[in-house]
Amino acid sequence: MGDRMVFREHLFRSAAVICGLLTLAIFCFLCVLGLPLLQDGHLLSLLSSPWAPARGLYGIFPMLLASILLALLSLALGFPVSLGCSLLITALAPRRLRMLLIGMIRLMAGIPTVVYSFAALFLLVPLMRTLIGRGSGLSLLTAAPVLALLIVPTMVIFFVAGFEKVNRAHLLALDALGGSRVQKIIHILLPGARPALINGTLLGFGRAMGDTMVSLMLAGNSTAVPSSLADSARTLPAHIALVMASDFDSMEFTSIFACGLLLYLVTGLLMLLMRLPGRSPDNES
Amino acid sequence: MAPAVKIRVCDLNFHYRNRQVLHDVNLTIPSGSITAITGPSGSGKSTLLLALNRLWEEIDGCRVRGRVEIELDGRLQEIHSPALPARYVRRKVGLVFQQPNPLPMSIFRNIAFPLQLAGVRDRKLLAQQVETALRKVRLWQELHNRLEDDGRSLSGGQQQRLCIARALVLQPEVLLLDEPTSSLDPETGQAIEELLLNLKNEMTLIVVSHYQDQVQRIADLRFTVREGRFTRLPAGRPRSRTGPAL
Repeated sequence: MGDRMVFREHLFRSAAVICGLLTLAIFCFLCVLGLPLLQDGHLLSLLSSPWAPARGLYGIFPMLLASILLALLSLALGFPVSLGCSLLITALAPRRLRMLLIGMIRLMAGIPTVVYSFAALFLLVPLMRTLIGRGSGLSLLTAAPVLALLIVPTMVIFFVAGFEKVNRAHLLALDALGGSRVQKIIHILLPGARPALINGTLLGFGRAMGDTMVSLMLAGNSTAVPSSLADSARTLPAHIALVMASDFDSMEFTSIFACGLLLYLVTGLLMLLMRLPGRSPDNES
Repeated sequence: MAPAVKIRVCDLNFHYRNRQVLHDVNLTIPSGSITAITGPSGSGKSTLLLALNRLWEEIDGCRVRGRVEIELDGRLQEIHSPALPARYVRRKVGLVFQQPNPLPMSIFRNIAFPLQLAGVRDRKLLAQQVETALRKVRLWQELHNRLEDDGRSLSGGQQQRLCIARALVLQPEVLLLDEPTSSLDPETGQAIEELLLNLKNEMTLIVVSHYQDQVQRIADLRFTVREGRFTRLPAGRPRSRTGPAL
């Protein structure tokens, strides 16, 4: 019995260590393979110059900018929807509607991103073409709502979990004092779930930054620096996918490891940020 | 002249999920009295309190049948009538929970909070009301120079009195207390009993307790509950049959 416990403990510990090492290994792998670019002192120019392989410029600044713009835009669309939806599920809707909503959110989380993109290609792109009035209808503005749709389930599930952890006694106290549902949300639910709200938002941002399919299919993939949200643009993950699809032994190919490294660092930074406000205000009681 | 009726409960049945918690409860409670409800835990004492201020509506799986009439603003009213907002009923019928549940905010804000929920914005009026409420529960002397501390930093007895003050600040006509002294030492319990006796002049009190002896001393009216059925006990009996519980 005791031996088995020790064995299990070793098993789980080594599994955890291997997971950690794998993440580290990916980091090293990206560094080593991206070395030719970094070695030539291109690091700064990589981040600031345009993408023009014919002229020997492998800059990924346009992609970085497009990634951040798109992630922020989809967050701006997705956050209010997620917040409203999660409040509806936890505090406002009648029981039946709650069940229906949470079931739908779970279903949405399971749909592959390519399906969303494909549907948007036929439904949203023609509409955007008309609305923008020029170009193909593939733009940051086209990709953003679809990306928002993609990150909403993640955020809602995270927010709902946060709201459900808020102390029930506080909610009941507010009811007993003659508070309304809206007052319950403002004074108890939102302050109580603040860490979960911040973490869920960071997680949504991370997902939006890292998603490939939506931006690849809907954002247009132009390598120029986008001058407006209605412009076609290429995100980092889409860039990696596109370059990888065309060749695998050139400077272009090497440059995508720098993209990978950058994405890795951004995600790592987000995870670090999530650790910071991790303490729940309700834990002290 | 008999005192006016404050609360009249007729054929009240209470279901939680598939279980019937209260069976055909009939009670009449006069104005300005203290009513003690005793019984073993899980017998439905606390459930009656939830039915008297409509708090059961906030708990999933509760159903209520029967009439609950309470005299509010001088008129005997059916509290479940659709014309009566639940928030109005809850402001008039205060509830103090068994576990002290100060909100995660300052002592001052904890007590001012119900008034703010009701839309009072005047800082001076709030300060005045907070002081009055704290004086009533004898906390003003102890706490008047640390009103900005977190309400949860107080001791158990102080927290319970803070919660009573929070209920009093709305000047309810009926105050329901769920085992208000169960988590306190005998001395603080004694202080709270005296407080309840003082409050009798301003409101009607219903106290739930499973210590038979304790409430008996101050109650005008006594009920005992067994498996959701209420029985009235003669008032003022010196000792309980089940012996001292404390």
